Amino acid sequence: MSARAVRRGLVGHRLEGVLVNSIAPVLGAFLVGAIVIAAVGENPLSTYGRMIARSLFDPDGLLRTLHVAGPLILTGLAIAITFKANIFNMGVEGQALLGGFFAGIVGAQLPDLAPAVHVSLCLLVGVGCGVAFALVPAILKAFFHVNEMVVTLMLNYAAAEALTFLSEGVFRDKAAGYVATPMIRDSAMFLKLSGGDLTGFFFIAVAVFLAILFVVRRGRLGYEIEAIGKNIEFAEAAGMRVRRKILVIMVLSGAISGLAGAGWMLSERFRYTLAFSGSPGLGWDGMLISLLGAHDPIGVVVAALFYSALKVGMSKIELFTEVPREIVSVIQGLMILFLSVRYLARGTSLRDLLRRRVG
Amino acid sequence: MNVADKILYDAVLSAVPIMLAVLGGMFAHRANVLNIALEGMMLLGSFFTCLFTISTGSYALALLLAIVISVTAGLVFSFFGITLKGNVIIVGLAINLFASAITAFMLQVMGKAELIAHGHVVANLRLHIPFIDDVPILGSIVSGHTALTYASYLAILLMWILMYRTRFGVYVRVVGESEEAARAVGIKTTAVKYGAVAIGAIACAFAGASLAMDDLGGIFTKDMTAGRGFIAIAAIFCGRGKPGPSALYAVAFGLARSLALNLSIYAGSAARLFNAVPYVIIVAVLLVASIVKYRNSRQRGFLNE
Repeated sequence: MSARAVRRGLVGHRLEGVLVNSIAPVLGAFLVGAIVIAAVGENPLSTYGRMIARSLFDPDGLLRTLHVAGPLILTGLAIAITFKANIFNMGVEGQALLGGFFAGIVGAQLPDLAPAVHVSLCLLVGVGCGVAFALVPAILKAFFHVNEMVVTLMLNYAAAEALTFLSEGVFRDKAAGYVATPMIRDSAMFLKLSGGDLTGFFFIAVAVFLAILFVVRRGRLGYEIEAIGKNIEFAEAAGMRVRRKILVIMVLSGAISGLAGAGWMLSERFRYTLAFSGSPGLGWDGMLISLLGAHDPIGVVVAALFYSALKVGMSKIELFTEVPREIVSVIQGLMILFLSVRYLARGTSLRDLLRRRVG
Repeated sequence: MNVADKILYDAVLSAVPIMLAVLGGMFAHRANVLNIALEGMMLLGSFFTCLFTISTGSYALALLLAIVISVTAGLVFSFFGITLKGNVIIVGLAINLFASAITAFMLQVMGKAELIAHGHVVANLRLHIPFIDDVPILGSIVSGHTALTYASYLAILLMWILMYRTRFGVYVRVVGESEEAARAVGIKTTAVKYGAVAIGAIACAFAGASLAMDDLGGIFTKDMTAGRGFIAIAAIFCGRGKPGPSALYAVAFGLARSLALNLSIYAGSAARLFNAVPYVIIVAVLLVASIVKYRNSRQRGFLNE
């Protein structure tokens, strides 16, 4: 086979892989979602149509879609880099919560500063919180062989309970009629650009994406992530300092998660409430996005934009239809379910799969 | 009833959903399937027991229907996680998200913030054990629970028998120990795993019913399981999937819940920190177990897990 034929074959497989592993599950989820919408007596097609029109073909909607995509790109990347290494940081949600909460505290408690200084300080604190959380499972995994999935899953809940305690007690804004921390100062807020919801935070998220893309595609870390993900024992045997790499990967993931939470605080929420992260939460959204993007940075950005459009579109059409906005979470759950399976392994084609099933 | 009695009575009650999820969930754990969908299945159990009690007027029928729905969720979990070999954590997460979303969705469609089964009076279901009821302290703690509560404590013994004295229990443990060996001697490993997950689903339906119908007296609120499924997983891990120790952890975590609930009158929101106790304990227990396990072994290179 000539080199060109091989390459054509590979590209063909890759395209088929994307179709079968990513697009088909999404369509499946929308199909089941359509049945649910039809069951409550609404027209699924016009509901979906309105959704797309409101989030992509409307200037305000489009800016909002980009704005919401910012933290989602980050949590998606945070999960992607660990999953690629076969390390499972399920604590992205907790890391984002911690980052958001303490960024909000610094934003509210410090006196008015120069905006650039104040915002940077808050973001740094957020990053620090994410790193601190991620270090616990990282150290336990690297040095004590403790399963990081269970630890991160559990610490999410511990973090959420602790933050609820703090926001009900020490840091509660007595003036608010509900459980919330004080509003952050104006100098800690991201400014809205050009009238829409978009803020500078989106561009920070894009910058992080570019940095991660560079590291993964061109840097040594990307190669190491891939090697550890494929076979961690072999990577160790080949002389890679696996323990240190686990720490690096987890810390990087925690830092990005913390940044996502902090940015969401400074550009959208401005105070910590019990609904800060939304439902089901930035971290869980990030997991869907990473799965959808096949744990690839570019895939993550595409998936984040898609998912953000879905969320924004749904929140806007709630005014026009009887379909509750929870339909997005329903579809999200279905998507994660359908995306959990690799239907087409690397290097096989759809024809192989069908032949195997039939024969 | 004084405070101490109240705390212990509530501990007995709060432990029930966790205990049921533990006793059902440990089968999947022993079969080496990490089932984090316990949380979602419990939520479905709560929602549908409450919903069907309202619509059919029969608590027993409602329980039965809730079990059917919970087992269906378990089958979906097994199909994607076991048959299609998806990542079980992600499949479990999807079930949890879906359960949370679909119950919230249905509440919205019905235009309600919560479900209330008015015809359901817990006081009528409470059993007072003849002699124990008169014993001063013990009586107020142990007596006056519902049949479901007593049954779930009896279930410790029942599940122990199922795990150690039946063929199914042996199969589950063999599959968990070594899947290849199990297959070599002709055990249908996939069927065993499906069965293990299904037992967890049935138990979770009861757990959800206990939470909505006994603990809250016939009320469903959004996301009311609030992490109890994960606490159950913590208890299973801490008790290494053995019925006795796992149930003991379930009771301990039930006590933590009860303390969080009852001490909030005195300690304010600080009592809430008791809710975080199970999550921290599991991390500590896993760490200690791992240190003990690897203390005397010299492994060259990096050992995954």
